[in-house]
Amino acid sequence: MRFLAPAAFFFAAAIPVVILFYLLKRKRVVRLVSSTLLWQKFLAETQASAPFQRLRHNWLLILQLLMLALAILALARPYFSGHLSGGNLQVVILDASASMQSTDEAPSRFEKARAGALKLVDGLRDTDRMVVLLAGANTEVKQSETSEKSLLRRAIQSSTATDSPTRLNEALKMADSLTRDKTGAEIHLFSDGAMPALSEFENKALPLTYHRVGQRANNLGIVSLDVRPNPEDASQRAIFTSVANASPEEQKTEIELRFDDQLIETKSLTIPPTNTAPVVFLAAQPRDGVFSVRITAKDDLAVDNRASIVSLLPQPVRVLLVSRGNKFLEKALKAAGKVELTVAADVTEERPFADLVVLDDVTPTVWPALNVLAIHTMGTNWFNSVGSVEGPAIVDWKSTHPLLRFVSFDNVAIAKTLAVKTPTWAVAVADSPQTPLILAGELARRRIVWLGFDTLESTWPLRVSFPIFIANAVDWLNPAAIQAAQLLVKAGEPFRQTLAETVKSTEITLPDGSRKTVALNPASHELVFGDTAKQGVYHLNVGTNQTVFCVDLLDSAETDTHPRAELNFGKFGNVAATTMRRANLEIWRWIAAIGLVVLMFEWWYYHRRTA
Amino acid sequence: MPSLLTPELLRRLEQFQLLAQRRAKSSAKGERRSKARGQSVEFADYRNYVSGDDFRYLDWNLYGRLDRLFLKLYEEERELPVTVFLDASESMTFGEPRKFDFARQVAAAVGYVALCGFDRVSVVIFPDVTSEPATDAERRAQSSELAARGALRAVRGRRSALEFFQNINQLTARGATSFNEALRRGALQARQAGVAVVLSDFLDPAGYEAGLTALVGRGFQVNAVQILAPDELNPATYGDLRLIDSETGAQQEVTFGKYRLNTYRQTVQNFCQRLREYCSSRGMNFFMAASDTPLEELLLKQLREAEVWG
Repeated sequence: MRFLAPAAFFFAAAIPVVILFYLLKRKRVVRLVSSTLLWQKFLAETQASAPFQRLRHNWLLILQLLMLALAILALARPYFSGHLSGGNLQVVILDASASMQSTDEAPSRFEKARAGALKLVDGLRDTDRMVVLLAGANTEVKQSETSEKSLLRRAIQSSTATDSPTRLNEALKMADSLTRDKTGAEIHLFSDGAMPALSEFENKALPLTYHRVGQRANNLGIVSLDVRPNPEDASQRAIFTSVANASPEEQKTEIELRFDDQLIETKSLTIPPTNTAPVVFLAAQPRDGVFSVRITAKDDLAVDNRASIVSLLPQPVRVLLVSRGNKFLEKALKAAGKVELTVAADVTEERPFADLVVLDDVTPTVWPALNVLAIHTMGTNWFNSVGSVEGPAIVDWKSTHPLLRFVSFDNVAIAKTLAVKTPTWAVAVADSPQTPLILAGELARRRIVWLGFDTLESTWPLRVSFPIFIANAVDWLNPAAIQAAQLLVKAGEPFRQTLAETVKSTEITLPDGSRKTVALNPASHELVFGDTAKQGVYHLNVGTNQTVFCVDLLDSAETDTHPRAELNFGKFGNVAATTMRRANLEIWRWIAAIGLVVLMFEWWYYHRRTA
Repeated sequence: MPSLLTPELLRRLEQFQLLAQRRAKSSAKGERRSKARGQSVEFADYRNYVSGDDFRYLDWNLYGRLDRLFLKLYEEERELPVTVFLDASESMTFGEPRKFDFARQVAAAVGYVALCGFDRVSVVIFPDVTSEPATDAERRAQSSELAARGALRAVRGRRSALEFFQNINQLTARGATSFNEALRRGALQARQAGVAVVLSDFLDPAGYEAGLTALVGRGFQVNAVQILAPDELNPATYGDLRLIDSETGAQQEVTFGKYRLNTYRQTVQNFCQRLREYCSSRGMNFFMAASDTPLEELLLKQLREAEVWG
């Protein structure tokens, strides 16, 4: 036999008290009477219940002790382990995203959600089971299926909110798989609803109860941050950021720009209700460092008031052009910012002294292990079959892709192109009806841009979009730029870095100053660090090299802390926020405890009775 | 101390006379008819003359007709001895009003009625005064009480009534009683039996039977008056009590609550009922009175109805 509430054994302290009452001689009032003659018979009747100083055999005492022991045993909730049918499963999902740190609910939305979940645990019947999921950037199973309330409470109390955006899909998928085909199963989501639409679950008919937390949206937040060379002055950097106002009133704030914690500039901002205001700072950058922006206004959510970005000084890009001669291409490459161009007829080694290689209508002897811009190259193993198409029309291009930024294919005609099928590792950024014309992708940790046509067999080199495309391609293929982009990580997403040397472990300093050592597999060439729940600046030591990377929220859905009245599951599926489900909060323990007190009181009163 | 009896009550008591169920046996002359033959105006009988008889009582008319000498006999009128046994033990000091005060009033009333009827009154107070006085004041009080007790042994004549009342007023109640012993001694010491009035609470652990039997055996016409305090009939103290007997000092522990009141009352009632049955089985009158009973109720109603006086 085991006990669900062994703490009830503390009530056993009442047993000595009962015995003490029996040991105590009752305090009597001394009274002089004319004669005790009239009381004689009466005395004989009452003496039977009179207590004695010495404990003697007394059925009353034994019965009271027995009752007390049984009551204590009942309070301790003894049980035998066995199989029990029935009981419902409840899946509790706690939204641990950044917006849950809002303080519009005291002390915070997450604390409120936690209190709600604890109430749900209190209302759990003995046969009910519960699972606790914590949904941050990743879903964590805080407690697997159990009916032990102490475990569930501990799991809920140990949960904390993160700085990451909401990723409810994973949690809901897990909850769906747990509750599928189980009658009476329930999913309880404690959230403020600040999340993208969950159209994936439109037809799933989840048994979801949405417990909304949050009262208002009084929040300003930084929703984007980027740093680029100032196109007008190469010595300066332009820091682009935007501040969103989630509240229904106009908000004023100051926004500060710091470089390595040194204040550089402050701007005043007035943001209309539910609007976003872009801000551009121009600043000189003497060295590699971290730009931080900060909003000074007080609001409910502090985590999105600050964002940081690593900015590296631009380095010249070494480009190896393998070509039989293409003046247009050479000029375009030279025009693309800081480029050190080398022209060669062939590639003879795997790692030539270059950052990227441009193959212009040649098949190299040795394939370089670098990022490649391949123009009209067919002798590869990238495609299953290669055909050709005459005069393809350019019908579609992805202008949102970094490669095609400011690039237009209007007035571009192509005489002939290779015809391939889009492989799995690449996406087509420009299409003709028959074949993709430009592919971009990553294969074996190398970035590849593939053009199916020879530029000299098209009108493109004559158009202004050609040098822009080449500049974009150089930028996209530049390993330093790729690395710089990797230095900004969204909260909750893993940080990755390619390792140049083999190391056994690295040390990472977190924003709060604590240090973490990550053991690495020596065979691996990449470091993956997943503990990025808190935003801020992280310092990574690999051997003698130090890398700085930033973790930021930068999520407009999280900044919009307006609590949603309903969750949107696609076009037709909505789940309205409920008030708390009526729970059966058991109070028998209190009644039993009061019974014990009454028992003690009865005995005390019996002794003290005066009338 | 207020006067024992009010003038109004005294006036009404003057109209009563103790009713003796038997002829008086006293040797002293009085106003009661007795079995003794003597001088009075009431003719009783004739008897033959024997030499030595007083010629003055010869019936000369009868001698003239019958030529024989007969002596005329008259009833001798003698006094009726009235003995009041007054319990002055410690237990009589309880109650509000005190049982002893009530008993003194009854004793005074009985005595007054007797004195008005030219009967001899004797008040026997028990227990005796035994304690040694500690101070001079106590010694003086004790000696005056002893004097009063002595004076109450035999009182006669209506003129003595005032002194009788004063002496009764000086009595105090103390000490432990031995009811049976006191009554037995009283019965032996009485020169003639007569009317006996026993004023007590009858709360003696040794019982009351032997004393009353001794009185009846001596020939007394016994009237037992049991006086109990209101608090003894309806106790007002509850809880866990340690009771101390005022006379014996015995201690008894008792747990008492309202819920046991009826049981207690039944106990008291049983006690009184036993006493009543005992008295009636031996030809004694029995009266029960709480000390807060109006005196008139007992004297003018109960005693009269029982023909103690009329």
